[in-house]
Amino acid sequence: MNTLAQTTTQGMGLLSLMIFIPLIGAGVLALIPREYASWHRYLALLCSFVAFLVSVSTWYFFSGNTYHFQFVESIPWIQSLGITYKLGIDGISLWLILLTTFITVISIWFSFYVKERAKDFMIALLVLETAMLGVFCALDLILFYVFFEATLVPMYILIAVWGGKNRQYASVKFFLYTFLGSIFMLVAIIAMRFMAGSFDLIVLQDLASRGELAVDNVQMWLFAAFALAFAVKVPMFPVHTWLPDAHTEAPTAGSIILAAVMLKMGAYGFLRFCLPLFPEATIQAAPFMMGLAVVGIIYGAIMAAVQTDWKRLVAYSSVSHLGFVMLGIFALNHNGLTGGVLQSINHGISTGALFLMVGMIYERTHTRLFKDYSGLKRQMPMFAMLFLIIMLSSVGLPSMNGFIGEFLTLLGAFQAGFEGAVPMWMPIAAGAGVVLAAVYLLWMFQRVFYGPNDKPVIKRLRDIKPWEQASVWLLVVFVFWAGLYPTFFTQKMEASINAVRHQTLLPQGERPTWADKSIDINGNGDIVEALERDSEDLGTWTQGRVLVQNNHYLQKGEARAVAVR
Amino acid sequence: MPELMDPSMPAGLNLVWMILLLPLAGFLFQAAFGRIIERAFGPALGRRILGFMAVIPIAVAFVIGCILVTHIANQPSDARVAISTWFDWINLQSIHIPFELRVDPLSLTMVLIITGIGALIHLYATGYMAADKDYPRFFTYLNLFIAFMLMLVLGNNLALVFIGWEGVGLCSYLLIGFWYEDIENAKAANKAFIVNRIGDWGMALGMFLIAVVFASSQNLLGGETRYLSFDVILPLAQQVVGEWGGAVVWAIPLLLFIGAVGKSAQFPLYLWLPDAMAGPTPVSALIHAATMVTAGVYLVTRCHVFFEMSAFAMGTVAVIGCFTAIFAATIAWGQYDIKKVLAYSTVSQLGFMFLACGVGAFSTGMFHVTTHAFFKALLFLGAGAVIYAMAHNQDLRNYGGLRKYMKITYFSMLMGWLAICGIPIWAGFWSKDDILGKVFASNDYWHAQGWAINPVVLWAIGLVTAVLTAAYMTRMFWLTFFSGEERWRNLPDPQHTHRPHHVHAHTAHHDEDPDEHGFFLETVEEEGHHDHHDLGPTHEPREVKPSMWFPLVVLAALSTVGGLILSGGYPVTEVFGVHTTNLFKEWNAVSAQPSVLPSKELFQVSHSTEAVLILLSIAAGLAGILWNRARYKKGVPKNEDTKLRRFAGSQWGYDNAMYQAFVNAGGKLSEASYKLFDKGIIDTLLVNGVPWLVASTGKLFRKTQSGYARSYAMAILIGALAIASYIFYSVSR
Repeated sequence: MNTLAQTTTQGMGLLSLMIFIPLIGAGVLALIPREYASWHRYLALLCSFVAFLVSVSTWYFFSGNTYHFQFVESIPWIQSLGITYKLGIDGISLWLILLTTFITVISIWFSFYVKERAKDFMIALLVLETAMLGVFCALDLILFYVFFEATLVPMYILIAVWGGKNRQYASVKFFLYTFLGSIFMLVAIIAMRFMAGSFDLIVLQDLASRGELAVDNVQMWLFAAFALAFAVKVPMFPVHTWLPDAHTEAPTAGSIILAAVMLKMGAYGFLRFCLPLFPEATIQAAPFMMGLAVVGIIYGAIMAAVQTDWKRLVAYSSVSHLGFVMLGIFALNHNGLTGGVLQSINHGISTGALFLMVGMIYERTHTRLFKDYSGLKRQMPMFAMLFLIIMLSSVGLPSMNGFIGEFLTLLGAFQAGFEGAVPMWMPIAAGAGVVLAAVYLLWMFQRVFYGPNDKPVIKRLRDIKPWEQASVWLLVVFVFWAGLYPTFFTQKMEASINAVRHQTLLPQGERPTWADKSIDINGNGDIVEALERDSEDLGTWTQGRVLVQNNHYLQKGEARAVAVR
Repeated sequence: MPELMDPSMPAGLNLVWMILLLPLAGFLFQAAFGRIIERAFGPALGRRILGFMAVIPIAVAFVIGCILVTHIANQPSDARVAISTWFDWINLQSIHIPFELRVDPLSLTMVLIITGIGALIHLYATGYMAADKDYPRFFTYLNLFIAFMLMLVLGNNLALVFIGWEGVGLCSYLLIGFWYEDIENAKAANKAFIVNRIGDWGMALGMFLIAVVFASSQNLLGGETRYLSFDVILPLAQQVVGEWGGAVVWAIPLLLFIGAVGKSAQFPLYLWLPDAMAGPTPVSALIHAATMVTAGVYLVTRCHVFFEMSAFAMGTVAVIGCFTAIFAATIAWGQYDIKKVLAYSTVSQLGFMFLACGVGAFSTGMFHVTTHAFFKALLFLGAGAVIYAMAHNQDLRNYGGLRKYMKITYFSMLMGWLAICGIPIWAGFWSKDDILGKVFASNDYWHAQGWAINPVVLWAIGLVTAVLTAAYMTRMFWLTFFSGEERWRNLPDPQHTHRPHHVHAHTAHHDEDPDEHGFFLETVEEEGHHDHHDLGPTHEPREVKPSMWFPLVVLAALSTVGGLILSGGYPVTEVFGVHTTNLFKEWNAVSAQPSVLPSKELFQVSHSTEAVLILLSIAAGLAGILWNRARYKKGVPKNEDTKLRRFAGSQWGYDNAMYQAFVNAGGKLSEASYKLFDKGIIDTLLVNGVPWLVASTGKLFRKTQSGYARSYAMAILIGALAIASYIFYSVSR
């Protein structure tokens, strides 16, 4: 295995290239006069595609044998404040990066229909891509915060300029809602700087692993500040109400990116920062967070069921689906965490595709109300078939991607209940969300596609065009790929998932740190000595003594390893 | 079975995988080329080609199934298991679920039913659906159904079973809503999927519980991580579950049973099955009678070890089965729609199967699955032929005297009728009598286990149900084929009448076919056919075409002698002291015999009692036949439409109550909570209210007009300062 991925660069590397290609593209676009509209479109598509290719190359060079960060780049940035430009990815961010670049290509592709101020639209999308990629790569807390907030601006512009009728309200609500959440995170980041003297995630986690970062109430407050920022982003009940408005009013590309990527920044934040940095607080808060997740699953589903607006229904379904992600993450076991990450990716594809297809119809009919639709299947059979497949993946039909995430998160939640970490009603109630998903999604399908084909607005429609079909087929391929061979995705994920879990659950001192490269995690999840490893070459190492034996399940008669305080 | 597990075969693609992949290939073929072929060769020839391509994969899969049976039958009975693994599905450190198929007598029994009867019904459907404008779509769904159903029965782990489990539910949904332009059909499809999902929820929880329990018993599993694979969990079930004890013992079987209740249409989740009759009749025969609805019985039999460990779970299965049997039988007695009679009859017969499983006679339950597949598929297809001949009218009150016109259909259905009534030597007798006998015989054992209801009570209810079954089937049979009068001739001429209450159900039709074809009263009618005229005084029913009557004849033969051949005359031969080979029982010796329950002490009955039981069950069938033959031999009696019958026909009000409680009240509650919480409390009060409050307070101190954005920023600042000051306070302490 080559060492491209495992070497720390003291300058810009592959990740920087990937992050800044879209931004450079945006700059070039800005220089091209407005008259050359198709230049803007194709250049934007090209930039996003190159970024996608670069992200695929990171996947290719990425090694699933280690939990340490790979492709690490570190450049002093604002030295007086100790802020570094530090990037790196692990098995969790890898997939979210691929999701981001893939979805951006689809979004830009589909945005070819935008006629009004197409140049600005493309620039906004490219800037947004840079910010989103930055979020998933940043290892410095300030850098992360900058990227995290930077996503708001282009998205705000997308909604406010190209949005629906109620765009002003929706965009301001979106911006301030999420900004309000993350301002507390900034305060917490600064507080940690004073307490620990660093913004570097790796340094902070090293301290946290020994219980030297923050304890008791302070840790709880820091956790809460981070959790609020991420909970708004996810969004968790009850801070979800920005989402229906933003999703519904955003232009199609905006809705796709919001659902597919930006919500995942919340889930990613929990995994990357809350769990490793505030382990005791996480364990303490886990039942509460799972409770909120369960409420979100049920509540989001019920809200989705009563919507009369097609797009709004899909938006509320996100609240329900993201509940599964949070449920899995806070189950704090291998099944749940893996399921949470998979569900993040799967939701990105499925709901992204739903928004894409709703957008296709909206472009033709300019109505999103169910009462204007009936019998669309007769009118547009190909569209109906593709929509059916995507809808079923969202319902969570086994052999499609949605099932894998729901199955693993629910299994993880059930395991947590069985082992006594959370009350048993939580996984049982969460399971009801799967029944409700069938209720609102099938009802949606019935109202639009079934019944007599007698609505004037539909009668004049033709089936979707080949290039539109192609964009959905790409997503359909993924639906079955992830549904039938999820092992492909989990292979490069498991070491990192194990690391997060160990960093959270193991007692102080036993936790694996990202700083200590003499240890690693083997194929069974045990923490072992990493022998015969060049300090930089993380991907290949010889396994030494087992330091901490792993068991993914609490064995019968065994007490919970970490006492809940 | 070395040839099944041969690792040198390319990617494990061997015979058993072919069984699964053939229908899947058929599905892909129909989906990809259906429309193209129809267009290229014209509807007539194109559909002939497509129909051929739809039947062939299923028929070949049946042949392969037979080959596997001969392979396996040569093995000693405890070596009749082979597992073939292809590739990993979910492979995590914490759980490993490969794509692996299990070939054993139980799965092969189901494979033969699915592919054998499936092929016949496919053949029938090529005739039945010949005039439908969505012909390729129909066979796309039907082939996909077979593929999923085979996955369900062949899968070697619960997760693969679950793929099939939900997959057949999907195909059922698609086929019930096949004529989706009538919104009622689409609603029936939704109902089926959603009610089934409730059952799936239970099954998924059962799966989770099994996975977690076995994963937490590594001392017994020794590093194996396939926590859902049957070859891991079934042999260890007794040890592992025994070690855990407590709630685990009854929770696992009961959760799995919730899944079975949903899929196999048992009370209280049977609600979807009657509505599912909205689908085309071949679908009703294949999915809602012969195969999919028996998946629950299959699941219980497959996991019988878990059930056997809990007397409470067994009792629940038996009682639910028994109650459903009699409950559905009474409802069937109140139906006028020929398909609805058969639908409730199916629910009732499935109840019998669960009753058998509940007392520990799993093999007998599976035997009833088999014979029921013969005669119920036959009855449904026969009903389809009648419906086809009667211009798609399904009301028994418009039939009568059809035996004159449809000799082959009549004769075939006669065999099916005798079979379901439990008249020896027809197939239904052997299985139903065996069930009742086993229930009676297990009385002492379960009484000793402390069941609240003794099996003898269940036996008595079962016997009454047998009378009712014979009664309502005789009613259906006589009103259709006998009773002298040809009642459709009394109908008003459809050319000159107009009944507005039908318009809403057929709006879809008006575009192309302005004629109406409904009459008499509202029934669920099949649409999509454009080649028929309307029922009226001048209507002349005709025998159906060969592609439709040929499957009827084959199934009639199976319904006549199939039971006798498979059971070898058991238990009648026992009474006479003759020993014959009970083929079915011997074949299923390993996979369907109780492994925890003491099979010797479980069913104890003397030969003389056995003889009395057999006579009683024959008498029950005869009584039902004679009673209703007398009642309906002159047509529909004057006192037919009583309040009691109507009440029974409306499912004793149960369906309506559920609708009011969940759909109506639930919907209203949901909307109210949307307005109250999401719109009201969270959005208006908090999200828009806090800035308003800040802005208003701001106004008190400052004259400047505060904008929306600014007031938000104010709120942010106040909050941030509060948090920051608290943190600095805590740190500096």
